Amino acid sequence: MLHYVFMQNAIFVSVFISILCPCIGIFLVLRRYSMIGDTLSHASLAGIALGLLANQNPILGAFIFTSICGALIEFLRSYFKKYTDLILTIVLALGVGTAITIISSGKLHANADSFMFGSILTVTQFDMIMVVILSAISVLTLIFLYHQMVYIAYDEEAAKVAGVKVRTINYVFSVLVASAISVSIRIVGVLVLSSMIALPVATALQLGKGFKLTLIFSIIFSVIDIMLGLFISYYLNVAPGGFTALVSVAVLVVVLLIKKLKSSIHTTYRT
Amino acid sequence: MIKAENLSFSYTGSPPYVLDGINLEIRDGEYVSVVGENGSGKSTLMRLILKFIKPTRGTIELKAKRIGYVPQKNDFSNSNFPITVYEALNSYRKISRIKDKSVIAKNLEQVGMSKFAGALMGTLSGGQSQKILIARALMGNPDLLILDEPSTGVDVGSQKEIYSFLKKINDESSITIISVEHNLDAAISNSTLIYHLTGGSGHLCSPQQYADEFLKNKGR
Repeated sequence: MLHYVFMQNAIFVSVFISILCPCIGIFLVLRRYSMIGDTLSHASLAGIALGLLANQNPILGAFIFTSICGALIEFLRSYFKKYTDLILTIVLALGVGTAITIISSGKLHANADSFMFGSILTVTQFDMIMVVILSAISVLTLIFLYHQMVYIAYDEEAAKVAGVKVRTINYVFSVLVASAISVSIRIVGVLVLSSMIALPVATALQLGKGFKLTLIFSIIFSVIDIMLGLFISYYLNVAPGGFTALVSVAVLVVVLLIKKLKSSIHTTYRT
Repeated sequence: MIKAENLSFSYTGSPPYVLDGINLEIRDGEYVSVVGENGSGKSTLMRLILKFIKPTRGTIELKAKRIGYVPQKNDFSNSNFPITVYEALNSYRKISRIKDKSVIAKNLEQVGMSKFAGALMGTLSGGQSQKILIARALMGNPDLLILDEPSTGVDVGSQKEIYSFLKKINDESSITIISVEHNLDAAISNSTLIYHLTGGSGHLCSPQQYADEFLKNKGR
């Protein structure tokens, strides 16, 4: 299996996905913004469709369109202060509406299905270059803004008092979310992409560690989820996106069971 | 340090105002407790001073090089956030552009919390987490410390420790303290001045004047 070039490409891209998604996901989950990941991943389908329509790289199209949608969410936040879920519905309508209109028009010269479910066969050389560039810029930005982003997630008012430009960083963060989504589309697919952003973090949170360790464990769980998802889906001949999501849920359930078992053993031992 | 002139605020931008025509001047080195009934606008006044919100009318001037802020515990209920005491302080040091790393150990020692550096914030008691938030607020030697109900959710023993520590730093380092208080005993015994808010407006008085006024009203 590993001697196939398409498989090597898929593994190469998966390594970047498994690092980038939890790095972004931890901030989304802790700010209780997991649904933003879901909304933007669905909106990215419009970017893919626009990219294909313009005969441009669909990942580039997804990145640009998703960044615009991310910025739009941030912009609308000041208009709908008490209805954040409504903002997501608006952006979702814009994204999915655009995607369905373009796809159903029959004007696309490529199949958009692989982007919905994920596919290991379709990773091109140009995609790989895009993935490396977007991942490198995103990780460097995250390292540079790490402490600011931790504080915006943990205690936004304290961050403001300390002089952090919360609004500006929120806009930068929207672009980072768009980047993580664009990088993951080929392998994971639009429909279950948000699971890659949220589930490894949800699993790592069960371990009850500090921020840095939670981030490290999120990356470890993400690597396990994606690699297992990739290899098993290859043997089962199913779409990698769906199976990776199933593996993520299974890993979370296993960790929850171990945690429960450990606490019952601890209680029994004490009594 | 703080000068408010004809300061009014309404969440809708039109009457009724939460704060209506406030005139207030707080000089350097004072310890001012802001007291008043629930909904009298105490926290709104703090938020205006901190520039989290903009006045609907009037002006507020603030001359402080560095501000330390201790939020109200009820508002700050992020107890499930996976962060250790050290991480919370170190990230705050970084975003506040304080280069000296030793400030973390020094401030933890100051509030008697040195041995909790590795603990998760969410596992601390109300009193312990309040002490950590004070240690955080004091990073970089602020000239103004703002606290929003520092004794909420804090046990009596820790309340005493916190108030005597606040009094000590106000006396010794002349840091200006503004504290929203529902603990009237602490407000009367600790403050140099009390700002009493009622019905959207307020007046500044000495703790003794406030105590007399309070007892008189209670006797009615």
